[in-house]
Amino acid sequence: MITAERKPLSEIRASIGPYKKVLMVGCGTCVAECAAGGEKEVALLASQLRLMAAKEGREIELKELTIDRQCIYEFIDQVTPVVDKYDVILSLGCGAGVQAMAEVLPKIHIIPALNTTGLAETKEQGLWLEDCRGCGDCKLDRFADVCPITRCAKSLFNGPCGGSKEGRCEVDPDTPCAWQAIVTRLEETGRLDSMDDIEPPANWAKTQGKGPRKIVREDQRT
Amino acid sequence: MGRPFFMVARMKDTNQSNENVAIFFCRQIDSDQDAHRRSLERERGSRIRFYPLPCTGRVEALHFLKALEAGANKVYLVMCPPGVCRYGQGNTRARKRLEYAKGLIREAGYSDECLEVVSAPGPLPVSIDGIARQLLDRAEVDLPVRPA
Repeated sequence: MITAERKPLSEIRASIGPYKKVLMVGCGTCVAECAAGGEKEVALLASQLRLMAAKEGREIELKELTIDRQCIYEFIDQVTPVVDKYDVILSLGCGAGVQAMAEVLPKIHIIPALNTTGLAETKEQGLWLEDCRGCGDCKLDRFADVCPITRCAKSLFNGPCGGSKEGRCEVDPDTPCAWQAIVTRLEETGRLDSMDDIEPPANWAKTQGKGPRKIVREDQRT
Repeated sequence: MGRPFFMVARMKDTNQSNENVAIFFCRQIDSDQDAHRRSLERERGSRIRFYPLPCTGRVEALHFLKALEAGANKVYLVMCPPGVCRYGQGNTRARKRLEYAKGLIREAGYSDECLEVVSAPGPLPVSIDGIARQLLDRAEVDLPVRPA
């Protein structure tokens, strides 16, 4: 899923600036799962903003609305009927959600309340771990399903750097060494021989340098 | 979730204090909590409101913020003593959520002293109104008065 973290309240406050009528739009999918932008987080942020406004002696009108997905136009249509009543939208969606809403709602300022951080798995309750950079050229099968691009601090393709100690990364000892995990899994699945294969450099042209990546499926299009 | 669901009314002008207290508490600590809290609510009027919880593990940071938003200037969370939670880790979780709520309060520019966790003295059961009286006696309200 896409993970995100809420921006500091001071930054959100500065972005809202003089606006008095704010439509807060949450997203009920990825950012709800990582407790950053779901219905509950929208309510928490709204409560904080109301308390802050009361302390500053300002008036603010906040409307809370959480849609299933901010990145799908059909869901954004739930925002369209009410948007005219507000000065600004404060989006608790990921970067894709904010931009999709901007596409559908061209006449209103949309402020992001989250910093989108990446693609992650829910490792345990309250812990989300990034494990995919969306490189566009997945080689997980060759690395025992452990992504060295994401999980190795040096993104090494051909074995460990030699700096890890007791299975921990030398860059961040809190992080397990990705190559330790790769070797362990290769052993457990009887594929340790594949360590002899040399992995060529990644084709980074698939992920950057050409603007936004695009997927076209003619069979899905109208 | 647009309107506050905790209605902590502001204290009547006849009372000299501007204190409004919200008390979230675990129902497990007082087997007769309903009668006990109602008697104190009748006595103290709208300056005190109780929110019984099946376990403090059910409390959320949003509950504390909503109570403050609705006019409380002191919010207590009264939980069972460490190690005796009927559901195992309810009081541990509640403490973490209160700490999280404190961070949100500070971020909004308020003192986090308006939120306080209180462990009920053992052995259980205890009387929630007895605990509440002690809290009211020592409550020092230092938050700015918010609009009703």
